[in-house]
Amino acid sequence: MMKQSKFHVSVATILAMLFSGSAHAATSPQPVFLKVTPSVIPMGTFYAGARLQVEGHVPVGSEVVVVVRGEDVHEVFNKVGRVGPIWVNTGKVSISGIPSLLMIFSTKPIATCLARPQIDRYQLDATAVKMQIKFTPRESGGDPVADDFLKLKMGQGSYRLAVGDIRTADAFEDDLPFKLDIAWPKSAPPGTYEVRAYACRHGEIGPTFAVPLQVVEVGFPAMIAALARERPATYGIISIMVAVIAGFGIDFLTTCIFKRKVSAH
Amino acid sequence: MNLLLPVAGTSIGFVLLVGAGAVVGFLSGMFGVGGGFLLTPVLIMIGIPPTFAAASDSCQIIAASSSGTAAHFRLGNVDFKLGSVLLLGGLTGGSIGVHVIRMLRAMGAADFAITVTYIVVLGGIGGFMFVESLQSLRRGALVPRSHHSTQGRGLLSRLPFQMDFPRSRVRHSVIVPFLLCVSVGILSAIMGVGGGFIMVPMMVYLLRMPMHVAVGTDLFQILFTSAGITYMQATTNYTVDLMLALVLAAGSTVGAQIGARVARRLRGDQLKILLASIVLLVMAKMAVGLLISPSVLLSPAKGH
Repeated sequence: MMKQSKFHVSVATILAMLFSGSAHAATSPQPVFLKVTPSVIPMGTFYAGARLQVEGHVPVGSEVVVVVRGEDVHEVFNKVGRVGPIWVNTGKVSISGIPSLLMIFSTKPIATCLARPQIDRYQLDATAVKMQIKFTPRESGGDPVADDFLKLKMGQGSYRLAVGDIRTADAFEDDLPFKLDIAWPKSAPPGTYEVRAYACRHGEIGPTFAVPLQVVEVGFPAMIAALARERPATYGIISIMVAVIAGFGIDFLTTCIFKRKVSAH
Repeated sequence: MNLLLPVAGTSIGFVLLVGAGAVVGFLSGMFGVGGGFLLTPVLIMIGIPPTFAAASDSCQIIAASSSGTAAHFRLGNVDFKLGSVLLLGGLTGGSIGVHVIRMLRAMGAADFAITVTYIVVLGGIGGFMFVESLQSLRRGALVPRSHHSTQGRGLLSRLPFQMDFPRSRVRHSVIVPFLLCVSVGILSAIMGVGGGFIMVPMMVYLLRMPMHVAVGTDLFQILFTSAGITYMQATTNYTVDLMLALVLAAGSTVGAQIGARVARRLRGDQLKILLASIVLLVMAKMAVGLLISPSVLLSPAKGH
């Protein structure tokens, strides 16, 4: 029991070191603090997204930027082009170097708080994200494709850039408290996400602090997902059998209902 | 109420899914079409990733077609003998079609070929059915179709392996339905759909089967092809979401039952003209979609 709790403490310490801006915190007398509630989002059978509350503080006089970022993924898209008078898929393009989810919130427009090199370094706006995108094959990429990719992601709700959602309160000593409510998109897949707060002052990024956010499937959905992943052949056969039984079952039920209606008449 | 789709990893409105399944199931029970051509785009539109939409759709088609087959079986509309020949032909054609697609992809012409095939096939079948059914409706009562329909077939009647298919009230060489289904299988593999839209008109016009029996028999063979696709998708791509398939099936199986009963109240020609109208509408929508420039020049790939 003791060993287990020691293990948990060590894991928590390592995670905190990995996710927090420890270097910045060590050099700054007023480190940024951040708390996300809940820190684990359970995805049960009737999951419909979640409300996420982010609160913390930054040094007085700073602007706040909060970034929620998913793991890097690669996705394949069809490129649509014109062949004669018609629009058809003209090929495929693989896009990598992109997070599965990206939400950037700030107290002021990012461009007014930070210099361009800082924005690019921390990927804090659309232009910066575009620069990180890798296309395969390389020649199928370019700015118009990157623009369309961002449009698509924003339309799906996976990417969001919002100004003004962060509420700040009166400064307490040298700290400026802030709060942010996020409607967690129900379409966001399970995985580990990072919520990071940046304190920005004089066009530079100051101390930062990050916490992990887990989105996990629980209960029956978790069981189904595990079966599909770990025993695909069994899962395939079960799927077919369940579908056939469902089909014949509904047929039996409706036949009974229709027969009863007919005999009632 | 929302429902989490565990394999797709996304959450969608329960009523929306059941409703989409019910509409497609109704069409399936009424016309013997699997609904793959219609439901997959709808699922993508409501936010389900394309790979999961296509694979889970094939799983729900199993439920819808088994429900539809059972309903049609009780009505005496399933020709198991002819259906088995069609199934063999369809599977052979499907395998050939997959190779054709691979060749076209290597040449870089696959998507163009698929689109043109779609428009030509849907336009041709829909147009022909519509005109023929309209003329038939104008003439009034149905001309009884029995064994006379297989007379005067010249060369076809001299082919070997002639066989009676009493349920369909036709006599053919086994080679004819087999080869017909090979060609439909090739087309459906190229077009990426189950083939009901092509198969039912082919059965009616070329095999001279009564419309109701064509629908029931088509559902019977769709049951097997969709089971094969589901197993393949589950084991190779891990994209079958059983929860999604079951919710869709809850709507589609009920819809299929109602569809089969409505179909029974309609005359063959009325059914044909309705099916022709839907085929032509889909074709027109596709044609318009091809001419209008899209707002975004990227679309999520289905991952074939």
